[in-house]
Amino acid sequence: MMRNYWEIYKKFVSTSTTMAMSFRLPFVLLIVMDLCFYFTSLLTIDFIFNHIQHMGPWNRDQLMFFMAFMLLLDNLHMTFVSESFWELSMMLKTGQFDYVVLRPMNTLFSTFFRFFRPSTMLNFPIAVGVLIHYGLKIGLAPSAWALLPVFVILSFILLIQVEFIITTSMFWVIDGLGINFLRMQFQKLARWPNFVYASMPRRVFTLIFPILVIGSAPVSFLIDQSKWYWPLGLVTSIIVLGFVLSFLWTTGIRRYESASS
Amino acid sequence: MSHLLCLSTFCKKMAEKGQIGQTPAMKNSTALIQANGLTKQFVSYKKEAGLKGTLKGFFNRESVVKTAVGQFDFEVQKGEIIGLLGPNGAGKTTLMKMFTGIIVPSAGELKVLGHNPWERSKDFRKKIALVMGQKSQLWWDIPAMDSFLLLQKYYEINDRDFKQRIDMMSELLDVKKLMHIQIRRLSLGERMKLELMASLLHSPEVLFLDEPTIGLDLVAQENIRQFIINYHKQNQCSIIITSHYMADVQALCQRLTLILDGKKGFDGPLTQFEKILGNEKVVSFTFEKAIDPLLPLWKGLDPKWNELNNQVELRIPENELRKISGQIIEQFPVIDFATEKMPIERVMKTLMNNPKLLSEYNA
Repeated sequence: MMRNYWEIYKKFVSTSTTMAMSFRLPFVLLIVMDLCFYFTSLLTIDFIFNHIQHMGPWNRDQLMFFMAFMLLLDNLHMTFVSESFWELSMMLKTGQFDYVVLRPMNTLFSTFFRFFRPSTMLNFPIAVGVLIHYGLKIGLAPSAWALLPVFVILSFILLIQVEFIITTSMFWVIDGLGINFLRMQFQKLARWPNFVYASMPRRVFTLIFPILVIGSAPVSFLIDQSKWYWPLGLVTSIIVLGFVLSFLWTTGIRRYESASS
Repeated sequence: MSHLLCLSTFCKKMAEKGQIGQTPAMKNSTALIQANGLTKQFVSYKKEAGLKGTLKGFFNRESVVKTAVGQFDFEVQKGEIIGLLGPNGAGKTTLMKMFTGIIVPSAGELKVLGHNPWERSKDFRKKIALVMGQKSQLWWDIPAMDSFLLLQKYYEINDRDFKQRIDMMSELLDVKKLMHIQIRRLSLGERMKLELMASLLHSPEVLFLDEPTIGLDLVAQENIRQFIINYHKQNQCSIIITSHYMADVQALCQRLTLILDGKKGFDGPLTQFEKILGNEKVVSFTFEKAIDPLLPLWKGLDPKWNELNNQVELRIPENELRKISGQIIEQFPVIDFATEKMPIERVMKTLMNNPKLLSEYNA
């Protein structure tokens, strides 16, 4: 079964690439836009540290490492799933989602992984390079280097789970504009380490709706490996949200009423 | 309304527990599709016109429950081609969507190929196909062949079968040259041919066609019809088709189901449908010169004359057709005469204008 899904995903990539590359200027603009976003994000942190020595327990390089980690997640997010959130809303409104339901495959997979963004993929080496650069600067331990790719994957899974759960509400509200902006606001919240938030929002966004676990958990552990509870929290969040997502998605699909012809 | 919603929720819960959706009678049935008391209700909101109505509706919404399909019983056997007919909003597409598992019924029992469609098992989805004349499944910005290759992976079709089916269908539909052109650059008729191909790549056992010829010119309509006839001959799959073009129904369907306001009005052979309004043939005569429309011969034949009185349309009882036609040809200077090509169209028009006739017929 996995082999078939892999074959399908390869086709998703090839058709998305064919579609994206048939419009040359937007393709190049997207690459430039993503690069601008990475560098302004890093420059913002750099600018803040021109005025302060520490932010919470972290210094400039540690926070830059955190930011580089989040930018790599953003790169993966933009490459593999970002387009689908906007497409889903349109598909629900127009009834085009009918064809997703009809296909003999997991609807969650065909909804969220259908659109691949090759232009963003081209920036992947830059995002990885920046992360390695700041990893070297903060002197990551060899075991931390070994765990880094695993944490990138786990954090990416948690990030998309959170976003899929938010997006599932489109089955109830249909119009996805507000939901997509809400999702993006949560993304912004997750782009800062958990300690910058006051006690109450920090608890809510760590224990109840774990968006702060996405970046803070792996980076805190990679910097200080005595904090074992962070990776445990990350894995627990993924398991719990997996069940929540599965329940909400199934309920949402049953609620789908299509659109009149 | 709350009662209706409760009923709907109850039915869903019962269905989830396997207590609804499969009666003993259905278990023993050989029908490919079997529906008993199938019902679908939609909840919408009433909104008064204008900004005031918008503001009022934002805070206080009056919901309206509409029964799109109510207590619908239906059976389809293997290899049948059935036409689902009815005016706009009658519930045809809603039925198709329930049959294919796109939407969940509010109540009733439904089995398609032995499956509850709304459970959407992979096995079920591999055995059916739906073509919607107003929605495209092909990707707009890429050639059809790329979409076909993706569908090959979806349905796990081996390379040999895939190539064979592509060759066979592209030949029949004459679209070999079109498969490598972006979809958005094709005409509606060309797109519809490729849509059909896309739906048939996995050789479905049941094919649902929702207005497949809508918006097509006469030649394109004819091509699509001919393709469906040939495909059915070769594959003996069951086909359920909805269309507003009676020519589609006449050419394709052996059986007809008429839906009016979500309820079944008629279900039977096409020949029987044509006789709902009586065993009469509509025959039109054209004369060389004007004829007196008040002659006793026309009495009881419901004559409809043109302005010049040189053309008349008559409804002649089937058993008197030979006699009366002979009399007219003998007595008047007839230069042309023709029997109605599609009586079904007249029956449909009459029933849509006056649905009570159907109740009288059924009674």
